Amino acid sequence: MKKTLLVGLIVGLLVVVVGLWWREQSVSAETPASTLITALSAEADEGYARATEPNNIEFPRDFGAHDDYQTEWWYYTGNLETEDARQFGFQFTIFRRALAPPDPISDIPNPKSDWQTNQIYFAHFTISDIDNEEFYYSDLYSRGAAGLAGAQAEPYRVWIEDWGVTQNGDIITIDAATDDYALTLDLTQTLPPVLHGDGGLSPKSEEPGNASYYYSQVQQLADGTIRLGDETFVVTGKAWKDHEYSTSVLGEGATGWDWLSLQFDDGTALMLFEIRQADGSVEPYSSGSFINADGTVQSLNVTDWDLTVDERWTSPASGATYPVAWSLELPGIDLSIRGGALMDNQELNFANSVYWEGAVQFDGTRESRPTTARGYMEMTGYAEEQ
Amino acid sequence: MNPTVSTFPLYRTAWRRIRRRPFQYVLFIIGVALGVAMMVSIDLANGSASRAFALSADTVTGKTTHRIIGGPNGLDESVYVALRNELGYKLSAPVVEGYVGSPELGSQPVRLLGVDPFAEPPFRSYLGGEQGAIGTDLGAFLVEPNSVLLSAEFAAANDLALNDTLTIDFAGQTTPARIIGLIETTDALTERGLSNLIFMDIGSAQQVLDQVGTLSHIDLIVEDDAVLAQISAILPANANIETAAARGNAIQQMTAAFELNLTAMSLLALVVGMFLIYNTVTFSVVQRRPMFGILRCVGVTGGQLATLILAEAAVLGLIGSLLGLGLGVILGQGMVGLVTQTINDLYFVVNVQSVTVPAFTLVKGLVIGVAAALFASLLPAIDGMRTPPNATLRRSTLESKITTLQPWLIAGGIALGVMGALFLWIDLGGLILAFAGIFAILFAAALLTPPTTVVLMRILTPIGNRLLGVLGRMAPRDIIRSLSRTSIAIAALMIAVSVIIGLSIMVGSFRQTVEIWLEQTLRADIYLSPPTTTNASDNGFVSQEVMEAALAWPGVERGVSARSIDIFAPDLAQSIDAFAVSDDVSNGNRPIFWSDGDDATLWDRVLAGEGVIISEPFMVRHSISLPPAPLTLQTPSGPREFPVLAVLYDYTSERGVVWLGKELFSAEWGDDRISDLALFVEPGTDIDAIVTAMQTEFADMQALTITSNEGLRAGSLEVFDRTFAITSALRLLATVVAFIGVLSALMSLQLERARELGVLRATGMTLSQLWRLTFLETGLMGSTAGILAMPVGFILAWILIYVINLRSFGWTLQMYLEPGYFVQAFLIAVVAALLAAIYPSLRLGKTVIASAIRSE
Repeated sequence: MKKTLLVGLIVGLLVVVVGLWWREQSVSAETPASTLITALSAEADEGYARATEPNNIEFPRDFGAHDDYQTEWWYYTGNLETEDARQFGFQFTIFRRALAPPDPISDIPNPKSDWQTNQIYFAHFTISDIDNEEFYYSDLYSRGAAGLAGAQAEPYRVWIEDWGVTQNGDIITIDAATDDYALTLDLTQTLPPVLHGDGGLSPKSEEPGNASYYYSQVQQLADGTIRLGDETFVVTGKAWKDHEYSTSVLGEGATGWDWLSLQFDDGTALMLFEIRQADGSVEPYSSGSFINADGTVQSLNVTDWDLTVDERWTSPASGATYPVAWSLELPGIDLSIRGGALMDNQELNFANSVYWEGAVQFDGTRESRPTTARGYMEMTGYAEEQ
Repeated sequence: MNPTVSTFPLYRTAWRRIRRRPFQYVLFIIGVALGVAMMVSIDLANGSASRAFALSADTVTGKTTHRIIGGPNGLDESVYVALRNELGYKLSAPVVEGYVGSPELGSQPVRLLGVDPFAEPPFRSYLGGEQGAIGTDLGAFLVEPNSVLLSAEFAAANDLALNDTLTIDFAGQTTPARIIGLIETTDALTERGLSNLIFMDIGSAQQVLDQVGTLSHIDLIVEDDAVLAQISAILPANANIETAAARGNAIQQMTAAFELNLTAMSLLALVVGMFLIYNTVTFSVVQRRPMFGILRCVGVTGGQLATLILAEAAVLGLIGSLLGLGLGVILGQGMVGLVTQTINDLYFVVNVQSVTVPAFTLVKGLVIGVAAALFASLLPAIDGMRTPPNATLRRSTLESKITTLQPWLIAGGIALGVMGALFLWIDLGGLILAFAGIFAILFAAALLTPPTTVVLMRILTPIGNRLLGVLGRMAPRDIIRSLSRTSIAIAALMIAVSVIIGLSIMVGSFRQTVEIWLEQTLRADIYLSPPTTTNASDNGFVSQEVMEAALAWPGVERGVSARSIDIFAPDLAQSIDAFAVSDDVSNGNRPIFWSDGDDATLWDRVLAGEGVIISEPFMVRHSISLPPAPLTLQTPSGPREFPVLAVLYDYTSERGVVWLGKELFSAEWGDDRISDLALFVEPGTDIDAIVTAMQTEFADMQALTITSNEGLRAGSLEVFDRTFAITSALRLLATVVAFIGVLSALMSLQLERARELGVLRATGMTLSQLWRLTFLETGLMGSTAGILAMPVGFILAWILIYVINLRSFGWTLQMYLEPGYFVQAFLIAVVAALLAAIYPSLRLGKTVIASAIRSE
């Protein structure tokens, strides 16, 4: 009897010990979770200001940030080349996104932390090495607080940490660097800012308020350096700046847009965008601007032009198919050009957003004279369509 | 011998014996089991606590390699902006952290980590990145003030769900905080690492933790020394870079002495267990001597017999160890709470969610248990092997042997004692040698037990004869006659009891010392401080408004303010705890360990900024020799040397503290805030009335703890008692081990005498005489052990107080002896011994005399 009791006790204890040990050791497999930035999409847009008034833009005040609008961006693109004609393109954009409308009644205690904010800033920075068909892109995120990121009108400065655009007298300097590549570019204005749409109010759909305030600074002279790995190139060229702020831009049914900016060798410039609809049509509120060499603007309606796709390219990374060659007819200003991407792969493939933004070149005739233009094309929504 | 002859019959004889007399073997198993259980449970408790610490440290540290830390007021946040904007160093993350309380999360302090989610992904994966769990509500995390994230398990353990609101209490300021996300962890390690953490956006955290404008530290991932140099170059004078590993190590090293102490205690238990095993094995050999003699006569070799004895011990040791493991795991679960409590009170906040049972601990316990059983059986086995067949038939040889051994035992005892004293005397800085010294002295005492017992019994024989007649003479003689067994039982009991005495004196003296010190030091009448959630130093401030009101209070004579600060000491490569005081709160009563000269002007000179004072533990911890070299502290304008004017006895902190004058601190660090205020009232004022009135008056201004001198002292002693709960638990365990051990040893001793007593009964001894004889014998043994344990216990206490404690913690304690400790221990020995007599007496009383002597 005693023996069985003892044996039973020992076996029981052994089971307990082994069981406890086993429980401690068991580790289940990991499951991936969502990413940081999925959080940034699909917020409600109530409580923000909306773009509704023409002739509402004033300088230098509106060079800075407009925190009461949900979305804002300072968009720099440009086509550069070295002395021996090696071509590059660059895009440097700083986006601002409000996570919540400005709160007039704040219960934030005193003293207030500098880090408290509703604003986040992020940047996309690309270099297109045309000759080698290499495309470099990266992004950077920060809160718009504590001096880490922000935008101010006077002196003009938009920055995220050590990336930014800074005014220094008459010169605007773009600075951005990653471990692999870097850009330092001095820009010189040649024309005053250009207001798009109706005195800077650029509607995107029929619904009032589905619009942005939108101006550009075109035909800016650029000179600086591009570093790729250990190699540094001295470059010159032309840059284009867009500054746009809005709340809820796209109307229902919009799936993406194609945006084109061109700077012609005769000092003129052209911007146009087409908003694509789910049914395959183009939003009638799509519009554009033709900027004369003296800086005067001619507004364009989507019916004024005919943009047709000549060639498409499918991204091996995202699987999205983008147009990469086009023909553009603009009878109103007697423009007929054909062209396309200087290299196919200029797709920014981030975890939270995928789009094509790249250097393009167009050739053709304007008022019967041969003309050539370089610029940038942006195409969004293609990755979601497939 | 023919190799084909089976030894199986030999083992069958052993098995048959076990079946016939299981009781002794059960005692053997219990002896091993108790020793192993004690060791395993301490091991588990220690291991779980340090593992929990390491895990939460890893969770918090993440992939951090280095850290930028600041001065006493934290690190200016502009350092981070410069690091990002000027240097563009992306592998950097700002952190604001502190301990907060939350009733919804239980009573334990919780670590609040304020982070910038944009900077986090390279460091900690819980916020965004590949493994992020923040999911849908990053916006709320940033935008909604005081929104928090915590692990799903942590929330579930506290019955909290998404969108529930916590009340976060920091230094008396409460803030509601909504849970806006639950971090889903899928592996158990991460789960435990996150079990005491809540995440908040850095902006809210700065406000909640009263750190607006500053950071606790900046985490860095740096692989390259050149990069480190670049970062160093842009840091202001009061910021420093330290490695993440160094910090973790420093914190873990703090508890090393404490853990080693506990481990040594558990080894002590095993030693007691070993005595019990030795006792049991010796019995089983002695009892079987006639059979072994017969076996030797029929051709069994001595080697075979030794193998048999050892095999028996191994099997029983294994069973005992397995039982011990099970018991140890169960005990460990209870013990971990006590260990954690001590660590929380003395060192840092650690939250142990579960007791980890590493395979290594189990294997170690098993191996040590079996090895101890084998080791204890070695002597009897050798004895069984060496004894010639004819001699094994007589027991008297064994007893005569121990008699001849006596001089050797005395010599060995003295030699071991001297060795132990030497070990204790040599101070190599470590504790291992000191513990080796303790064990040597204990063994010495054990070796000296048989000769001392003989002397005592010889003295008692005539006394017993006079008082109790023939029984009084017989009992001490019986003990001498069976010395080989009785002395072991007495030694085992003596050691167990002496451990109890030693621990009692040590803890009692400690408490008494602290009590007297509190009385000397806390001379002010009323104390004001922000409520603390932990014992961590920087925990909020007494506002200027409150201070002015308190000093102007009718009846208040004057006030003494203190500011507790963390200051980086470059030479020591770590932060130290310091107090900037406006005066000496003890009115010059603090006991001085060493001073550079004039004690009377000491505090005046400190307050005038001539130098600083350090505490005794600070001196010991940093191996500072007397007279102390100037102490280098990091000030905002760079490192500065401060002369050390004195060393004070102090029991505030095991890490040690530094005192400096308030004026000096304000001038050097540009900071006037105070963290505590002590008030002296005019004689004859009703202190409690003022405390009550102040509590009402100041309630609207600031959450404060306002206590009278008496209340603060009581509170301090409460913490003390909580800290020593683990020691009390160990003492209780040692008592239980001793009790059961003695019970089993004496019981088997008496059972073994069945035949002898049978003969006595046959020759006319009455039942009541038998009872008396048995009780007398065990009582004598218990008392002998109890009496011997007194000097040994005293020596042990002396070593614990003046060697171990001083070396582990740097606290000089005054030894206070209370008769109660000795009386209690003596009673334990005697009561255990007397209880041990009951069962054998009952059995012998029932036994038919004829059957008792039949084996003749």
